[in-house]
Amino acid sequence: MKDFGGLRAVNNVSLNIKEGKIQGLIGPNGSGKTTMINLITGMYKIDNGAIYFSGDRIDGLQPYVIAGKGIMRTFQISRVFRDMTVLENMMVPALTQDQSMVEAKGLAEELLEFALLTRLKDEPAKNLSGGQNMLLQIVRGFMNKNLRLYLLDEPFAGVHQVIKGMILRTIKKMNEEKGITFIVVSHELTTIQYLCHQISVLHRGEIISQGTMEEVANDPLVIDAYLGG
Amino acid sequence: MPRLRLNYSGPLLFLLIAILLPLFLTDYWIYALTITFYYVIMAITWNLLGGYTGQFSLSHHTFAVIGSYTSALLIIKTGFPLWMGMVSSWIFNAFISVLLGILCLRMRGIYLALTTWAFAEIVKSYIRMDFEFTGGDRGLKTPLFFKTMNPLPYYYLFLAFAVITIIVIAIIMRSRIGYYLRTIRNDEVAAQAMGVNTVRWKVFAFMAASVFASIAGTLYGHFIGLISPVSGEFYEMALIIIFVVIGGMRSQAGPVVGAISVRFLAEVLKKWPEVRMVILASVVILIMRFFNGGVMEFLRQGYQRIRQRKGRNPVSGFQKLEPTQRHRGNNE
Repeated sequence: MKDFGGLRAVNNVSLNIKEGKIQGLIGPNGSGKTTMINLITGMYKIDNGAIYFSGDRIDGLQPYVIAGKGIMRTFQISRVFRDMTVLENMMVPALTQDQSMVEAKGLAEELLEFALLTRLKDEPAKNLSGGQNMLLQIVRGFMNKNLRLYLLDEPFAGVHQVIKGMILRTIKKMNEEKGITFIVVSHELTTIQYLCHQISVLHRGEIISQGTMEEVANDPLVIDAYLGG
Repeated sequence: MPRLRLNYSGPLLFLLIAILLPLFLTDYWIYALTITFYYVIMAITWNLLGGYTGQFSLSHHTFAVIGSYTSALLIIKTGFPLWMGMVSSWIFNAFISVLLGILCLRMRGIYLALTTWAFAEIVKSYIRMDFEFTGGDRGLKTPLFFKTMNPLPYYYLFLAFAVITIIVIAIIMRSRIGYYLRTIRNDEVAAQAMGVNTVRWKVFAFMAASVFASIAGTLYGHFIGLISPVSGEFYEMALIIIFVVIGGMRSQAGPVVGAISVRFLAEVLKKWPEVRMVILASVVILIMRFFNGGVMEFLRQGYQRIRQRKGRNPVSGFQKLEPTQRHRGNNE
């Protein structure tokens, strides 16, 4: 549970994420999706309840400790380190995991090549377009060598189709090859349908439906939440 | 380690000139340059805190004052040997700076600036008020480091320490710690999400900068021979920031270039004290308006233009992908 003054942002949510799956999290604006991510990653403290990750309780831990346990996130509005180069941005999560400079640089170059960002590696991140920023933000998270759960907050919002395809390809590849679990928050239902194994619908801070896209799309509660307001 | 694009020839030439310079200078200019090296140390270390880490502290000069007073008082009042007084004051400063760092952890921008300014005012006022212990505005006589007023040995002492400080800061900024400090200034929330323990590294930056300031302060105190709360005036802090901003914030050479050029200008204009501050302030305004990256940015742009004219394009082929978003103060 999480309250902001008189507003209850998340209430009585029980969300079990299966390891190695891609979980979609959808819901109308203001339904509590980003708050959920902030709670899981320690950006907000929960008022009541508990959050477990692989059997360990993680609520109350500092965000950097949670990142060290292998939980990474992206932000709806891309938060790259603007004055640092693309390569330096990439190296940060690896360096916090005690990887050497050489290892971090090697891995960063490998990932940048995969994401077709190699030609921009020495550019300050502030010179990148919005879509490239988002792509950088996403591939940067893979630099965490312990990464097991990756929370993506609106990764496709305002992103060009080509970069969107690249983001989708990256998520699929990392899920299939490395078994990384994803929670993807998005308003793009067709993309969520294509990408996710299971979908949860959040409305007014509560989970109102879970299942495949077909199941949740036909749920009267979901239809009411989206159309009824 | 990633290949470092370092060019040592410039700094080494600079160092060689600095070593040989006293052969051609009067005692007055040797003295003035010694004071300049003190400000170089202060500017470089404030750049670590205010520039790279984005912690806009206004109490950096106060740590030099605390250093000089602690060392002098320990030697005078308790009979500590000089070296022990100095080292004890550095340890004391480390302790005080950690406390202040912890107090300021959640503060940024104007709030941090005001809190550190308030701390500086408290220290300065205490020195003035407890005049029986500190000497107050009359000042406090301090034992000399070399038992002589001849500025030459002090010149080399301050030069050596300035070089050591430059090297240490360069090593820090090229290590993983340097990455962490830069992420804190860029975006503290994102830094935490990427696994950076921002609390630890902010306190580290505070402590490292303050301990270097206290070392500079103790050396200064044992060079001047008389310390007073005037060194704790806000004007001193403003000078340090001016050196960094004019030279180039967040560049390693910037604070050095800024401190030397502004100090030289101030010495040249010494005969006209009324206009000196007006000219210095005008230079600050011009730099802020046209080259907010400071002298180093000015030199970098000039160098690029010359190379482009010669047909050697140093700029990458990268084309901006969006209309340029050049925000004032965001230049690296």
